[in-house]
Amino acid sequence: MKRALFSLVLGIFFLALQATLTPSLPIQRIRPDIVLILVLYWGLSTSPVSGGILSFFLGFLMDLFSGNSFGLYTFSRSLLFCLAQLFKGRLYLESLLSQFLFVFLFALFEGLLILILLSALNPAPLGNLSSLFFTFFLPQSFLTGLISPLLFLLLNKVTLFLFEQHGMGIRE
Amino acid sequence: MSLRVKQRKGVDFFDALLMELISPFQKASTFVVKTVHGVFQNYIILVHLQKENVMLKQKMAELQQENFQLKEMAYANERLRRLLAFREKISSSVIAAEVIGQDPSSWFKSVTLNKGERNGVRKGMAVISPEGVVGQILKTSPYHSTVLLITDYNSAIDALVQRTRAKAIVEGKGENRCQLKYLLRSDDVIVGDMVVTSGLGGNFPKGVTVGEIRRVDKKEYGIFQYAELVPSVDLTKLEEVLVIAESSLPKREDKGKKMKRSPRAVAPKKK
Repeated sequence: MKRALFSLVLGIFFLALQATLTPSLPIQRIRPDIVLILVLYWGLSTSPVSGGILSFFLGFLMDLFSGNSFGLYTFSRSLLFCLAQLFKGRLYLESLLSQFLFVFLFALFEGLLILILLSALNPAPLGNLSSLFFTFFLPQSFLTGLISPLLFLLLNKVTLFLFEQHGMGIRE
Repeated sequence: MSLRVKQRKGVDFFDALLMELISPFQKASTFVVKTVHGVFQNYIILVHLQKENVMLKQKMAELQQENFQLKEMAYANERLRRLLAFREKISSSVIAAEVIGQDPSSWFKSVTLNKGERNGVRKGMAVISPEGVVGQILKTSPYHSTVLLITDYNSAIDALVQRTRAKAIVEGKGENRCQLKYLLRSDDVIVGDMVVTSGLGGNFPKGVTVGEIRRVDKKEYGIFQYAELVPSVDLTKLEEVLVIAESSLPKREDKGKKMKRSPRAVAPKKK
């Protein structure tokens, strides 16, 4: 319960950072998705119920604060959490490269999923959105993947320090 | 004594010997004393200097901080003065709001404001800044609201080209770009033309700047031509905005949902 509450506060903190700090980075166009990293970390380290609820809630909050009215992130973040749970314990995620690749591929997958959903759900055609995938989402996913080992390490350290419990699946 | 001075023969040798023997000690002693004295003196001076240095550094940091705050206040003052001047110029009642957050996702373009329903903000209201159109209110809560920026894919505003009065719809294209849709091929539009709101949508007052046309693509076939424009407002650096609280808007919403409206929050127009 204490851990779930801490995770919730952490999630809100990450969301606030994403809405305030990452847009002020020098390259505004390409900013890392730190909330996605947190959801994937939960997918690898928390229980399916509490982590699932937290991921759903964080996705919902993202939808609430964005110009999206379809609930895309509520869906995608919950789905990504479930997928991460499937891979939990089956992937070797102890090296920096594997952590990077894991997050990078998941970020790309989410970008593709949202692109498909946006095209399918919008009544009017949204123009050439697919070109954005290579010019924008590929570098952004790369950047998200790049900072993920650092965030995983930090999250692991904090979890260890506060709960004397090792983040499952990811070791320092 | 005078005898010894006069007869110095035997004494000189001993004197010299003693002097030679003692002098190195004296020299060493002087060196040690001088060194100790010097070190002690330097240490005291250094301690004093260090204290002074720390104090000066603190003072400098304080002054820098003060300077930074003053600069920030001056910039805010300048922005707010322009906002106030603009607010007095436009013929609608407006609500001044501060941008407190950007869109956390990358697909969509929106900002969060620190004013909500309790301040008179309603869904669909127009949001502008002294430079031009910002967007429309998409979601509201009692004390906060979300603005859909004009660069978002879901945004559409009725507009016209200022020079030729050609009508079109400004749609968001993401990444600080918009496009003009349904612009007739026969319409005279060139790069550099300014696009303003038509006032037909009911939300935006007529004549508010939307942006400048940067690219025109007139194909040899088809009914419409394509034009791309850059918003006049730098939407990545938004800090303060004005929400236009038109009297017609709440009436339209009241049909579906009754909302309390604070008369204090909606500033009356100044003439």
